[in-house]
Amino acid sequence: MKKFFGNPWAIALFTLPTLLLFSVMVFYPIIQVFYRSLFDWNGLSAGTFVGMDNYVRLLDDKGFQVGNLNGFKFGAVITVFQLTMATLLALSLSSMRMKGKSILRVAYFIPVVLSVTVVCQLWLSIYNADTGLLNRAFAFMGIPFKQNWLADRHVAIYAIAFVNAWQWTGYQFALILAGVKSIPDSYFEAAKIDGASSWKAHRFITIPLLSETYKFCLVVSITGGIKAFTEMFIMTGGGPGNSTYTLTYTMYSAAFRSAQFGYGLAAAAVLVLECLLAIILVNKVFKTDPAVEGA
Amino acid sequence: MKNKLLKWLFGGFLWFYAAISLYPLVWMVLYSFKNNDEIFVGNPFGLPKVWRIDNYIKAWTNYDVPQYFLNSLVVAIATVCLTLALSITFAYATSRMRWRGKGLVRLYVALGMFVPVQAVLIPVARLVNGFGLTDSHLALIFPYTAFNLSFATMVFYAFFVGLPVELEEAACIDGANIFQTFFKVMIPTVQPAIWTLAIFTFLNSWNEFLLANVLVVKPALKTLPLGVLFFQGQFTTDWGAMGATMVIASLPTVLLYIFFSNQVEKALTVSGAVKG
Repeated sequence: MKKFFGNPWAIALFTLPTLLLFSVMVFYPIIQVFYRSLFDWNGLSAGTFVGMDNYVRLLDDKGFQVGNLNGFKFGAVITVFQLTMATLLALSLSSMRMKGKSILRVAYFIPVVLSVTVVCQLWLSIYNADTGLLNRAFAFMGIPFKQNWLADRHVAIYAIAFVNAWQWTGYQFALILAGVKSIPDSYFEAAKIDGASSWKAHRFITIPLLSETYKFCLVVSITGGIKAFTEMFIMTGGGPGNSTYTLTYTMYSAAFRSAQFGYGLAAAAVLVLECLLAIILVNKVFKTDPAVEGA
Repeated sequence: MKNKLLKWLFGGFLWFYAAISLYPLVWMVLYSFKNNDEIFVGNPFGLPKVWRIDNYIKAWTNYDVPQYFLNSLVVAIATVCLTLALSITFAYATSRMRWRGKGLVRLYVALGMFVPVQAVLIPVARLVNGFGLTDSHLALIFPYTAFNLSFATMVFYAFFVGLPVELEEAACIDGANIFQTFFKVMIPTVQPAIWTLAIFTFLNSWNEFLLANVLVVKPALKTLPLGVLFFQGQFTTDWGAMGATMVIASLPTVLLYIFFSNQVEKALTVSGAVKG
């Protein structure tokens, strides 16, 4: 048996391809990000070592500051919208006896399987100031609320965040619904016998038991805010001005538009660290109570 | 009385959000059958007066949609196959075989879960260039596979680790070696996980934009998410054809979801169970 499970040829053949591809395409690049962020480097020459210079420059960069703030705004909008909606939808759906449940589930989830470029292109036409669905719907209902959704520097970032929230609410809904279904019915029956309303049962049984699910949802949406890029890239190009810049945008334009690779990589390094920090914080705040673990 | 009211309220909310979630897509499908005049002036909300199937014919013949479609298909299928082949073998070796350092090796690959694709765009683009991959689909297949590996190996690991050792013992006693056991006994046992991950990886690769945007240089290698953007910035945008292209790009994943909705939801939410 020992020889069977310790076959060195099998071990090498089974692990080396993965290790090779992973090391070259994931591990080496992330090391490069941190290492090269210490260089003044245009991507062609060897570059000169400048220590923490790029990071110091970042702090003074208006685009970087706006980008960080936007990551926070974007993350806040999608976290609040998605968690609230997904929770309400999942709890209502699971406790209601009604027809058409499976149609509703499909309706919520379909945006999740679409490509982000299709979604952005679609919302570009919905947000269009003159011909867009949204302004025309307001006009149709006789509400004077015409907005230039994506060209207004105070509105644009929220309009973009809503697109992401709209696309991914169904995802969190499915996660939470799966969690609710995994809770044994006997818990709710016990609560009913004790006279708890279904609101109370959810407040004190369902939501605490789903703390692992919520932790994951929070990590996904908060880091989603920090990493935000594609929606801005397609819908506003970072504008108007730099009002929809994000951290990734700072990196992208430094590297691919002005060939300041070292500088762009410093922004990328900050991105990685912020994501790690967010994961650590969420895990600290939501320390799983050992009494409910395993449910 | 109060209960009845609440029931109406929540039921109404459920249908109302379904409308928010679905109406933009219905609108997209409808305008893919209209002409510019109907979209902008005559009839923005309702059903098309004439169903203009020629929008689809135009999208398919005037623009490079068939090429994009084929590229997406090749990249997605190759990524699925390569990801599955690499991650099943790796997960098997690190979960059930016995050798020193396997825990460390597994941890090393799992760390990839913490690497955001956004952060490594620049080095990955330089690597793909350096290896001279930009002239082929491999420019996307290798990076896509690499970034799916961490997650895929973790899912397979979770499956393998729970299986009884008797599976291999019986095969070993029957005289099978480790390779025969792996292919004939172990792979069939984890079939559900294979389907789940195949769906997950396919959806991810079909819809991927971030890497494709940087790594695809040649127009002939563009995938559908890039192709959809082709219509942006055209002087006279042909909205009907654009809508048709978007519908064509979405159809495979939407159909996959509608036919296998439970499996797709499981595939996409399985990450919740692993990442935690």
